[in-house]
Amino acid sequence: MEQLLQHLVNGLVLGGTYALLGIGLTLIFGLMNVVNFAHGELYTLGAYAAFTALAVAQVDFFVAVAAALVIGAAAGATVERVLLRPLHGESIDTTMLVMIGVSIAAQNALLLGFGGVAKSIPHPFPTAPLVLGPVSIAPLRLVVLAAAAVLIAGSYLVIHRTRLGQAMRATFQDPDTAQLMGVRIHRVHTATFAFGAALAAAAGALLGPVFLVYPSMGDLAALRAFSVVILGGLGNLPGATLGGLILGIAEELGAGYVSSGYRDAAGFLIIIAVLLLRPSGLFARAERIG
Amino acid sequence: MSRLLAALGALAAVTVPLWIASPYHLHVLIMAGIFIVLASSLNLLLGYAGQLSLGHAAFFGIGAYTSALLALRLEWSFWAGLVCGTAAAAVAGWAIGRLALKVRGAYFVLVTISFAGVISLVSVNWMELTNGPLGLPGVPAPEVLGWPLRSKAAYYYLVLGGVAVAVLVCRRLVRSRIGRAFVALRENEALAESVGIDAVHYLVVAAVSSAALAGMAGSLYAHYTRLVSPEVFLFSYTVTMVIMVVAGGKGTLSGPVVGAVLFTVLPEALREVVAWQWQMVLYGVLLVALVFFLPRGIVPALASRRRRRAPALETPPVTVAARPAEAARPDAFATAATAPPAAAAAATPKRSAAERAESAAGQAAPAAGRLVVRDLGVRFGGVEALSGVSFEVRPDSVTSLIGPNGAGKTTAFNAITGYLRPSRGDVLWEGRPITRLRPSEIARRGVVRTFQKTSVFPGLSVLDNVRVGLHLRGRAGWAATLAGRRRVREEEQALAAEAGEIIAFAGLAGRRDEPAGALPYGEQRLVELAVALAARPRVLLLDEPAAGMTTAEKAAASALIRRIRDRGVTVLVVEHDMRLVMGISDTVIVLNGGRVIAEGPPAAIQAHPEVIRAYLGAGAAGPPASAPVGGTGPARS
Repeated sequence: MEQLLQHLVNGLVLGGTYALLGIGLTLIFGLMNVVNFAHGELYTLGAYAAFTALAVAQVDFFVAVAAALVIGAAAGATVERVLLRPLHGESIDTTMLVMIGVSIAAQNALLLGFGGVAKSIPHPFPTAPLVLGPVSIAPLRLVVLAAAAVLIAGSYLVIHRTRLGQAMRATFQDPDTAQLMGVRIHRVHTATFAFGAALAAAAGALLGPVFLVYPSMGDLAALRAFSVVILGGLGNLPGATLGGLILGIAEELGAGYVSSGYRDAAGFLIIIAVLLLRPSGLFARAERIG
Repeated sequence: MSRLLAALGALAAVTVPLWIASPYHLHVLIMAGIFIVLASSLNLLLGYAGQLSLGHAAFFGIGAYTSALLALRLEWSFWAGLVCGTAAAAVAGWAIGRLALKVRGAYFVLVTISFAGVISLVSVNWMELTNGPLGLPGVPAPEVLGWPLRSKAAYYYLVLGGVAVAVLVCRRLVRSRIGRAFVALRENEALAESVGIDAVHYLVVAAVSSAALAGMAGSLYAHYTRLVSPEVFLFSYTVTMVIMVVAGGKGTLSGPVVGAVLFTVLPEALREVVAWQWQMVLYGVLLVALVFFLPRGIVPALASRRRRRAPALETPPVTVAARPAEAARPDAFATAATAPPAAAAAATPKRSAAERAESAAGQAAPAAGRLVVRDLGVRFGGVEALSGVSFEVRPDSVTSLIGPNGAGKTTAFNAITGYLRPSRGDVLWEGRPITRLRPSEIARRGVVRTFQKTSVFPGLSVLDNVRVGLHLRGRAGWAATLAGRRRVREEEQALAAEAGEIIAFAGLAGRRDEPAGALPYGEQRLVELAVALAARPRVLLLDEPAAGMTTAEKAAASALIRRIRDRGVTVLVVEHDMRLVMGISDTVIVLNGGRVIAEGPPAAIQAHPEVIRAYLGAGAAGPPASAPVGGTGPARS
């Protein structure tokens, strides 16, 4: 029982960042019909941005996370503007191939730039865990959880309270009508991709100091993001948030009670099971066909 | 030209060990051969069936592990291992293929990635079986008649044999009705189902054959490198295969071969010049550049430079000569309408004497040829699109279904033909319910539809469109197809001839080899009709066949519909053009608000007060004389 609580807390910390990854991916997927295979590399980029900021430039931790956000957004906007906009209207397979190409090129460029050796990111928080009854948690993890919560809340605000968010929601529902109403959907696409990329980079910057940073760390992150999106349903923000938490907890429980070797299997099994049993995601309501 | 190239290539491939002595060069060629098998196998799924598998390395790995384990633990021979490795991968492919039942496109991609991920984790963690990350060393070299194939040259010939088998399997599959079904599903799944192609079945066939070939490649790989480790599941293997297929040309037979050779030899050649990491960066950039600058791949690009023609499927010689006079005429509908009746009779789908007698004796056997819709209801969430619709279509008649926009006409079509599951009620065809059947099963029973939105297989030539329509007329299964039986070839020729006749009947003889997607609108609708007719309907459901046509085209369309009826095909039409409806119909059924509000012969319907109210509103006074009730009905997109 004590172990269970500990697993739940650990799962929550992981789940918060998974939710960030998932929200970014689900927005891009739902709005632009693009399967962003480079999502994992944006996560890695965020982690290396934080590494550079903290270990090399030695700035404040939160400044480093903010820097990762900005770099992620810039990278996302560039990829969208240069590669995806010319392919607007092409099939989902075409853009998927392009994003696979981006993913391979980016991952190996990071490998060339930073080397293959895993790096640990220094952080300013005390290493002695806080003990709350049966649960102990490192202060850094608590910060990560809080920062993820703030970013998730911020995403909700952007999407539900701003003009950009309104344009995004309109484009999601019906791009043609949105365009007729004067929404410049190309800009919405660029903004969406940048937004999703920034969240992925932030997730990388937050989880980077908890684990190690290495060029291929994005592979598993991307798969986690995909399983979160599939759990939550396409373009479903609350779904992605919940999905992230569920995946984080499922991984922790799987590692704790089954075998740590199969920790990463949780994401795969979720994808397969959800697509088999409920392809529209766990939280989708029945929609009108046609 | 291409035949000469292929012959030269084959000659070069066979004689390679005579003029290449370097074991390193032979090694590169052996790997190229293994990748040719892999790329060809992926091409079946990605290029032909249109489903991208990013878990293909899993099938490769399953083949490799099965073969290696059998050789090491049970001391089975290479050949037994090869067969079992292929079979094990095929079983895995079957399991994955069943998933295609539910998901397509991006979701299918994710299922395949996840599948490969799970298998890879198992290979790392199941120490007792797989020896974990260290892998299985010491896989023995294969033996042929007691001689172990230790030299590179000997193994080269073994792999060459594997390549020959893989290319032959792909070639036979692709050029058969099975391959056409794959392509039809890729091009337009709904239309493919409407002519009786069972999507799930054929996607599973594609997945199984693709996985089996990948498993064979795995087995060849295991006995060549003598070491199988979890590395075989690496995502970069899958990506390499995808690049090979896309670069070479997906959906072509030679594309994956060219791609595989190019992308095994090129990285090796670059190895001395560029570091491995740079190579991978280059790979990524290359994939992006390919999509932008060579989206169809090297082989199709070269081919279209040589001859600017439609990318047709392989076509056996058609023996039926198209009437040159017809072929030359541009206004196709008029051609069909003015074709001599005798020629038309010869060309329409023929029905057996027994069938004709049966429909003539419709009175005696009340169920024969009779489509009955009973209390049909369809709900979309809270909206009731159809609420208890009942009607009957008599054999050998033309029945029209009319009503204002949103009346539920297309919904009724969708529910009858299995594209929508009704929330209540039944559809009976010849006395048996077809309500819960899949569209392909309904088509198999002779109930065939067309679509409101023009729906063809855009990338296929007109001939291939019609050949896909003839799917149910073919019998050849996969075993006979792979064995290359003579009756399969004869059947193919007969089908091609029949397709030619149907094309001539529809007045499209001059367009035979053009891609359907490139034809003008009116002719695309004719292609659609030809495809539906090829499926040999007993009842043909036409959804707004004349929408968007000119007056002259409409007149020709009416004539064509009547002639289809005269060949003994019952016709049910949804149409907005009242002149056309009143001109061709034996019975008119009026739907409004999801209910039948009137039914009867055209004259009675034109005078029916409730029909007039439905079309013109409550204030409309008196029936308009002979004017079309609903105007000319705007074409809906």
